[in-house]
Amino acid sequence: MFLGKVLGYVWSTVKWPELQGVRLLLIKPYHYDEITNNGPGPDFDAVVAADVLGAGPGEDVVVAYGHAARVGIEEELPADELPHFPIDAAVVAIVDNFFVEGDETDSN
Amino acid sequence: MIQGRVIGEVWATKKLAHLKNQKLVLVAQRGENGFSGRVIVAMDRLDAKNGDEVVVSFGSGARNVFVPGSRTILVDAAISQIIDRRPVI
Repeated sequence: MFLGKVLGYVWSTVKWPELQGVRLLLIKPYHYDEITNNGPGPDFDAVVAADVLGAGPGEDVVVAYGHAARVGIEEELPADELPHFPIDAAVVAIVDNFFVEGDETDSN
Repeated sequence: MIQGRVIGEVWATKKLAHLKNQKLVLVAQRGENGFSGRVIVAMDRLDAKNGDEVVVSFGSGARNVFVPGSRTILVDAAISQIIDRRPVI
């Protein structure tokens, strides 16, 4: 999972039928420098993630990949059934706040 | 798996049910020299402290940190090892 900032929404009308009604967000992962405020840091590639928690642009979110994402956005999924959404990333938490200790230099 | 250092913690009230009362920590991933810049959010059951050097497993490997073979724990990253600090002689 990674910590990222929601850049905005991803709208599409022509899409795989399974994706009807699934909200997609464009999310930028945070770089180490950004969260220890040593400057902007290089830009990571943004990720498109499904969202059922209602995160808005500018909010900090935690995004998970793979199976955790697919099962995460299915409200009730019987234990034996496999998730059917064709996605590989989803917002699993909207971050209230996060703490990063002082950016002391890398000692070892 | 990756190696990294625990640099902080994440709190979120609005999250998926499966993530309830799981501790989420921030891990700065190691690169060639120092930190590569990537920051991982991993679940922690080993009670790693800030500054600990750890190994983070992903995907089903992460889920096996909690319940071997489980498909219901919605985790894709978990701390599987805390690396011992070199003894100061």
